[in-house]
Amino acid sequence: MVNYHVVLDLARRVNNAPHGAMVTVPLDAGSEPGLQRIIADWCDHTGNELVRIEDMLATVRRGRSDPLGGLAAGQLPGSRVWIYTNFDCNLACDYCCVRSSPQTPRRALDSGQIRQLAAEAVEAGVGELVLTGGEPFLLPDIAELVEICTDALPTTLLTNGMLFKGRRLESLRRMNRDRLALQISLDSVTPDLHDRHRGRGSWDRALAGVRIAIAEGFRVRIAATLMPEHVETLAQFHDFLDTLGIASEDHLIRPLAHQGVADHGIVLTVESLIPEVTVTADGIYWHPVSAVDDDHLVTRDIFPLASAISQVRSTFRQQRAHAAAAAQWFPCA
Amino acid sequence: MSKPLIVGSVAYTPNVVTIWEGMRDYFGDGQAEMDFVLFSNYGRQVDALLDQTIDLAWNTNLAWVRTVLQTRGECRAIAMRDTDTVFQTVIVARAGAGADGLESIRGKRLALGSKDSAQAAILPLHYLKREGVDVDDVDLIRINSDIGKHGDTGRSELDALSAVLDDRADFAALGINTWNGIGREELMPGAFEAVWESPTYSHCNFTALPGLSDDRVAPWLDALFAMDWDNPAHQPILEMEGLRTWVPPKLDGYTSLFEAVDEQGISPRW
Repeated sequence: MVNYHVVLDLARRVNNAPHGAMVTVPLDAGSEPGLQRIIADWCDHTGNELVRIEDMLATVRRGRSDPLGGLAAGQLPGSRVWIYTNFDCNLACDYCCVRSSPQTPRRALDSGQIRQLAAEAVEAGVGELVLTGGEPFLLPDIAELVEICTDALPTTLLTNGMLFKGRRLESLRRMNRDRLALQISLDSVTPDLHDRHRGRGSWDRALAGVRIAIAEGFRVRIAATLMPEHVETLAQFHDFLDTLGIASEDHLIRPLAHQGVADHGIVLTVESLIPEVTVTADGIYWHPVSAVDDDHLVTRDIFPLASAISQVRSTFRQQRAHAAAAAQWFPCA
Repeated sequence: MSKPLIVGSVAYTPNVVTIWEGMRDYFGDGQAEMDFVLFSNYGRQVDALLDQTIDLAWNTNLAWVRTVLQTRGECRAIAMRDTDTVFQTVIVARAGAGADGLESIRGKRLALGSKDSAQAAILPLHYLKREGVDVDDVDLIRINSDIGKHGDTGRSELDALSAVLDDRADFAALGINTWNGIGREELMPGAFEAVWESPTYSHCNFTALPGLSDDRVAPWLDALFAMDWDNPAHQPILEMEGLRTWVPPKLDGYTSLFEAVDEQGISPRW
């Protein structure tokens, strides 16, 4: 027999709760699962939100809220999609979040997959594609891959900027400057810090790459990984990028993540990261910074892309709703 | 610009703050600025209206009747919710009890809501009397769990339903909003069934005294009636306040309550 007192108790408490507040009522052990369905139906009927039923407790939020409502448009999962074109790299940075190096297997997405991803991204309402690796310029068909993407959507291509010569420079020159931005990694004003993590001589060659890309008419963003020793030179670093002609909105400074081969840095979990849908040859991941972390694997199936985006959004929505519920349960003051 | 209209409302739920801050913001965008004052009960609110501490009172039907009686009919209602024009009382019993109509309550136990609730106490007794059922022949169980708020919280009505579930009562008197709120017969199968629904009557309204001039009321009313359910900025406020649109008052909908107050000797000042 279903214990309807639980529903009446829920109605009393919700009626007296402020909009957005959480209400928790204990369930009666003998009345599940019929009672769970009735509570869910009651929430639907009354415009309240069933947050969860577990451990013999039903938690309901007064009114409805969109857990993703507080996000900026560009933070909505699926607003842009990251694509790991490959995982091999000409560098072996000691903090690489995806363990790339010259010895890393390529694990590339082929042009057919990229074409399908780009088409499905447009269908799914994605606003931007971001290509990364590994080092994408190691791929002989990188110009074709970029063209597929820029024909579909505005695209950003991440590179270490060190390979702009010969046929690779020719590949760069074939790319659509109106639809493509280059994001080049440069960690410091002087070679020492950058080279310490990325390899001797890499700073000089990256800087040369930045200058080539600018000279070729591309919009260039600079991405720097912030080390503790960087902090005091941050203002100097921004000044340096200004002198290179990099617009201030294109200075991207991010902390070191404890991912891949990095032995320290901030710990990132699925629960602590706003997701950015990331496609690799191995599957869809929660975020590009964790694209080799099994804990961050969303699905092995990269198609259909819309399903993966929907799955990420759904999981993220649940997480944020639960986080809000937890915040209600454990006030600190 | 004229000074803001001050609207009184009773704080029967924390959401009243959200509702009236939303209303204040809405009116702040136009030529009919308003602010609000919250009261803990309708008695104090009506006093404040009569003292002219507030310009308008968002009154229940009982608060309206009492204001009319205390002002000898000089006050006026200026607007109400669409849902206020079709309010009803519902009498429910356990599903399958075999009851039908008010006559079936004779000799049984009827759980009433708070004694100052028109929908859950005053009008049920009025309708029983009108149907020829002497209330002395009914075992009345009064559940006065939200006195002062005229039943707005719904608390006493939910408590009355609990009494029916517990077999402490055979019937419960509810407002139609509470009945709809628990999903009528559908959401809790086998729990309750309606055995009688009253004729429609009027519930809340904005009440003003004659001293409030038309040149202050008219622009405020124009703005009120311009609130639009299809406008995403307006809808959350309208939804929380439980209406789709504001409408002119339906005064003949208060006749039954005036009769009930007179029959039951309810004081004009409570």
